[in-house]
Amino acid sequence: MTDPAPLRSHSVDDFVRAYENDRRLRGFRCGRCGATTATWGLACSRCGEAALEEAQLPENGRVIAGTIVAVASEEFVNEAPYAYVVVELEGGARVSGWMPGVRSEDEIAPGTRVRFQPSYKPGVQFARWNASGDDTGR
Amino acid sequence: MRETWVVGAASTRYGKLGESAREAATRVALEAIRDAGLGPKDVGHTFVANCFGLTEHQGHLGPLVNNGLGVPEVPSVSVESACSSSSAALHEAFVHVAGGFEDVALVVGVERLGHLDTLAATGYFAYAADYPFEARNGATFPGLYATLANAYRAEYRTTPEMLGAVAVKNHANAARNPKAHFQKEISMETYLGSPVVAAPLRLYDCCPFSDGASAVVVAAREAIRAPPNEPLVVRASVRAGAVTALQDRRDLVGLPSSRLAAEKAFRQAKLTPAQIDFLEVHDCFTIAELMALEDLGFYPRGTAGRAALDGATARDGKLPVNPSGGLKAKGHPVSATGAGQVVEIFEQFNGRAGKRAVPRTGTALAHNVGATGGSCSIHIFARR
Repeated sequence: MTDPAPLRSHSVDDFVRAYENDRRLRGFRCGRCGATTATWGLACSRCGEAALEEAQLPENGRVIAGTIVAVASEEFVNEAPYAYVVVELEGGARVSGWMPGVRSEDEIAPGTRVRFQPSYKPGVQFARWNASGDDTGR
Repeated sequence: MRETWVVGAASTRYGKLGESAREAATRVALEAIRDAGLGPKDVGHTFVANCFGLTEHQGHLGPLVNNGLGVPEVPSVSVESACSSSSAALHEAFVHVAGGFEDVALVVGVERLGHLDTLAATGYFAYAADYPFEARNGATFPGLYATLANAYRAEYRTTPEMLGAVAVKNHANAARNPKAHFQKEISMETYLGSPVVAAPLRLYDCCPFSDGASAVVVAAREAIRAPPNEPLVVRASVRAGAVTALQDRRDLVGLPSSRLAAEKAFRQAKLTPAQIDFLEVHDCFTIAELMALEDLGFYPRGTAGRAALDGATARDGKLPVNPSGGLKAKGHPVSATGAGQVVEIFEQFNGRAGKRAVPRTGTALAHNVGATGGSCSIHIFARR
């Protein structure tokens, strides 16, 4: 295992600021196994390699699994019901996010195309999206 | 490694505690020590499990329990592993006793959430997930298990009645358990008519927020001359971990830490699933019981729901699962839950389970999960 790469910005807050303020999804790519992740760490959670490269993650992906949250926590209580989804982005990194206004499980069936949608609300947000580029969310 | 036994056990009723976590923990600890035919001065080390004590403005619970027992000089440590905190504490006690560092160790798990409203409690539960990468993105604890349920449903046909069968069974068992939070049976109609919390999970798929305290006393066989109860011989005490955030798991069907812990536990116990008479498994949500039975190797993937519907996992079925009522209906006082599972097994082994007694009590397994599987404990017990 090599020493951690000297990453310029390397904090959980940097990840959060990226998607909440800078309108981009930040991640890491493992220098050994190539796995990409949207979760902060000092080493790859797949293979243990410490040489991680910062990566800007693609905005488009597909739903792996999700749910419609009816009973929310305090931060989201005014948003319920909404969808919570685990999304596989193009290139393989997975990120979780929420989809305001989505109230039916049919709208988040596995394989549904979604796109990262920055907004003033907290957290990573996705919206449904079809191949022709039209936003079909809400 | 020395042969290690569970020699005493006690639990409060789960539900609402009419006293602080500190008082309840001390009371059940004394009861468990006396149940073992011992006194507080026999305890070499106390392992306390508690997650949410700070909401009661009290941390560092171990010395307070020992002070209350009249043995302030006994060392203690607090163990936190979310919903698997007291099984983690039991594992630490096992390591100390089996390793020869102590002859007798006390394990006490306690949680009090009743002073918090549902909104606040939902928030605290979400802190056991990967907060910035899951809860901040909208996940709740039921939402994460609902996501796992939908990943499971995408692979294996799962009807609402299969999940409902787990809820109906565990309520039926809890109705026979005077220490259970919910002592009432529910019908499939009641289950199906309950409101959705996080699709597909309904209210009756979810464990309640419970208060409660449970304690067990662990001792080296050679330190106990004439145990007043039939001891549980610890045949396996193992822990496993897994990546916490669901987004970083390759596979969302089942829990990887359950599979890893089961593999280690059966190897350590030199037993197979077919040799286990009954189980207490981590059913924080009905889907979790189905995943556990498959992860632990008791049923092939995709078949545990059918088994629940067919009554195979009922108290008098082929493989009784959660005769106590489980987290689902006995209740889930987070840090007491793992020790509480062992209290149930102790009572079953000692003929103290009354109307919920299972037919065979030669061997048993306890499976306890931390949150969505970042941690997992498995203990396997047998008779002398």
